[in-house]
Amino acid sequence: MKKKKMVLSSKTMDVDFVRKVEELSGTSVRRCFQCGKCSAGCPMATFMEHPPNRIVRLLQLGQWQRILAGRSIWYCVSCETCSTRCPNKVDLAAIMDALRKLSWDQNGPSKESYVQLANRLFLENIRSYGRQYEMRLAAVFNVKSGQFLKDMMLGPKLFSKGKLKVFHQTNRNIAEIDRIFQRIEQMRKNGEAQ
Amino acid sequence: MTAKRKLNYAYYPGCSLHASANEYDLSTRALFDALNIGLQEIPDWFCCGATPAHNVDELLSLSLCAKNIDMAEKVAPEMAVACASCFSRMKFTHHILSKNETKRRQVEKAIDAPVTLSGDVKHILDILARDFGLKQLAKAVKKPLQGLKVACYYGCLLTRPPEVPKLDDCEAPTIMEDLLHTAGAETVQWTHRMECCGANFTLSRPAVVIQLTNAILESARAAGADCIMVGCPLCHGNLDIRQEEIENKHRTSYRLPVLYITQLLGLAAGLPAEKLGLDSQMVDPRPLLKSKGLI
Repeated sequence: MKKKKMVLSSKTMDVDFVRKVEELSGTSVRRCFQCGKCSAGCPMATFMEHPPNRIVRLLQLGQWQRILAGRSIWYCVSCETCSTRCPNKVDLAAIMDALRKLSWDQNGPSKESYVQLANRLFLENIRSYGRQYEMRLAAVFNVKSGQFLKDMMLGPKLFSKGKLKVFHQTNRNIAEIDRIFQRIEQMRKNGEAQ
Repeated sequence: MTAKRKLNYAYYPGCSLHASANEYDLSTRALFDALNIGLQEIPDWFCCGATPAHNVDELLSLSLCAKNIDMAEKVAPEMAVACASCFSRMKFTHHILSKNETKRRQVEKAIDAPVTLSGDVKHILDILARDFGLKQLAKAVKKPLQGLKVACYYGCLLTRPPEVPKLDDCEAPTIMEDLLHTAGAETVQWTHRMECCGANFTLSRPAVVIQLTNAILESARAAGADCIMVGCPLCHGNLDIRQEEIENKHRTSYRLPVLYITQLLGLAAGLPAEKLGLDSQMVDPRPLLKSKGLI
């Protein structure tokens, strides 16, 4: 596959976006000197088109569109190995969170829909039930991702071991949880939080 | 003998322990009861937000955790967490809110309560090895786990990043081994004790999990382990519930039981198998434990 040539100029380097990433993550991408330790230890690097060290490099060069268009940020599993091993204290796991947030908020262009769908359903479950309702999470994920038979064989086994609860757990804090979501939405509308 | 319990904790089980990791909850309660450590479940605790929340919405993640911490502080000064993922999120919340005044004010507004952070958050490994202590634990061992070779699996979030959980060394921890040696078991040296299992990708991208966990199981087998020990329901689910699938995909057979720390220590403390949920595992550990004369 022919790669698109990267042209660096004040027009193609969007530094404002990178500043936002640095502000959200509380870490500086300029500290990275490309030793590659993050990618060497990353369990998910083989699944990414841009391994962690290259993500930082692309940020240094203001090329964030290339990052958000791909699947890499959604394939990060938040294991914290990169942040633990970085000799320059670049908190790459926090950078990944910041990139995902910026992409998520703008409904970004990434084609990695399964991880984003799982995230969305997980958060919806918290708001509706207070605690994770694992059976519903898996069932709705299968329906919405069109994989109706995924893990079908596991269901009865889990059920027989008492690991699959058919009903969700009740929680008396459910109204308070919804208020937390509402307050955060309101704060964002008022520009009091990002 | 109902002497006043010296150690008392506000217990946060986390969502998995009330469903797919029911045996972790059962064995934790049974073990703590046997050791006379008080565990009081936080009434109406709710989800910490786990990975999906902090991945896309830090403020939501911090707020959910801060509210749970606030409720825990009303129960007891210290919070006991069994799930490594919940533990990590609670510790991150403590870490971030204690040094970032802006985020702290935002969270206070979101949960409409002051964030005092007066209590502490502890993983049950920490409570067992340090608060209760190895010396006392040695005295509580009634049935040493002799002849059992265990691969201690730490995974990611119990130790990483070093400045947050502060449970043990971030690259070469020994807390699990220390506990097991006290209980009379052998532990093996192996390569994958700190590698990631794929965690919540079990829902969205199980093929990733199957590749990562296969390497972990292979390493444990190569080291001669009889079983794997974990302190996290996600690690457990990926290694135990998915093990048959991993075997089919990679055309091999591991049949390696995956046990929680509380199940193994519970056995050593003389608790019966049914109190530890040993029948809830997908890879049945009972034949192994029988062959070692432990049940």
